[in-house]
Amino acid sequence: MTATEQTVTGPIADAVNDGLLPGRVWLYSNYHCNLECSYCLTESSPRSERRQLTAELMVAVATEARQLGFTGLGVTGGEPFLLPWLPDAVLAMAEQLPVVLLTNATLFAGDRLERATRLAHPDIALQISLDSHLPDVNDMARGPDNFAKVVEAVPKLLAAGVRVRIATTTAGPLDGPLLQPLRDLVASLGVPADDHLVRPIVRRGRADERDLGVRAEARDIPSELTISADGAFWGSFGPTVRNGRLDTDLLLTRTILPLEVPANALLAALQGLPPGQDARLGIR
Amino acid sequence: MSRIDLLDASTAPLTVKAYFEGGDPGPIVAALANVPEMVGPTLGFVGPALGAGSVGVRWKEFAILRTSALQGCNYCVHAHTAVALDVGLTNLEVRGLRAEAPLEDAFPAVADRALLTWIDALAGATGPVPDDVWTAAREHHSEHRLVEVAITVGATMFLNRFATAFQLPSSDGTVARLAAEGLA
Repeated sequence: MTATEQTVTGPIADAVNDGLLPGRVWLYSNYHCNLECSYCLTESSPRSERRQLTAELMVAVATEARQLGFTGLGVTGGEPFLLPWLPDAVLAMAEQLPVVLLTNATLFAGDRLERATRLAHPDIALQISLDSHLPDVNDMARGPDNFAKVVEAVPKLLAAGVRVRIATTTAGPLDGPLLQPLRDLVASLGVPADDHLVRPIVRRGRADERDLGVRAEARDIPSELTISADGAFWGSFGPTVRNGRLDTDLLLTRTILPLEVPANALLAALQGLPPGQDARLGIR
Repeated sequence: MSRIDLLDASTAPLTVKAYFEGGDPGPIVAALANVPEMVGPTLGFVGPALGAGSVGVRWKEFAILRTSALQGCNYCVHAHTAVALDVGLTNLEVRGLRAEAPLEDAFPAVADRALLTWIDALAGATGPVPDDVWTAAREHHSEHRLVEVAITVGATMFLNRFATAFQLPSSDGTVARLAAEGLA
């Protein structure tokens, strides 16, 4: 029996098993990024305040998440691969629970490619952003040469045995024929259709400043426990930054560890709010 | 101008939004909301500690306003000058508690002065509380009353330092009212 197969009991585990509480815990490893996307929730850029977690904290969160009964982990930023130690931390986290690691995949050359390919692990998936099958449309939102770098990186990662998912963030439809060319492109890169996620721009952070995306309140956002350097939040869309200031409306606790503290706060908040529209809005 | 963000209904964390639903909860709650998990426990202590309790509002305001004056907390002195007037303390009594008039003139009753000596020993000094202060207080007040006043003094000292450290602002309405009363 592996660590992830052990039976966990308790209020958090029960809530996860009953489908009341999402099983994944997200961690914002850092907020700085080599890109400056138009809809970025965290206003990330090379100049952003780093708001960086430590490797030790991330592994501790992973360990306590498993002990409490969560079933998965997500790591996002900023661009996590700007942190040289990040792959080692993610490998250690994957010893506790399966990890999805979000990246823009534009830094995978030389040493960084070697570090990324070390993440060929059955419980790790890299989730790479690609917003359009048209290079100029994709790059308008995400920056120059983004498209070219992504379509070059994905086959290399897959060839090295790394599981790759593609995430598309769009102001357009979430399904239908308009997306077919993008779906064809993703398939041609070797990524299965089930590993292609399409979601709307959420109007928070820079997207809000630029009048982009769908408005969402707490119950419209998947209530995944999310950890950043600023505390614990309701959902991975919670710890956003607007005009350089952290949004606090979805803040749960400043306390991160023991993870039971924010997890219980999230559970209490969940039980006190009416159902939202996350399914209708397609936010995930 | 506060040193920290004073959260409002739009920025309040969802777990403490209820405190903002009835309107502006004041700068202490707005500041505490930056650490949402501390709001409930803090108010759960401060609320009863500063409420009327078994001691009654008059003596509670002795403790709160006197402590705030001794601690030099402008925000708390302003706020509780207004409260003290609301609960019936006279202008002279308020000035006495604020150390702006002799206590002997403001409080001729021996029981009042014994309680104020007890409060001064807790809030205006460090080190041991002298036996004669305790004995004098006990001549006029029960043990449980002195315990409750000690709790009020302690809670007030916490709020004094909190409000002073973060430079919490007095409301314009309070400042205007105190000016009209000659107590600005």
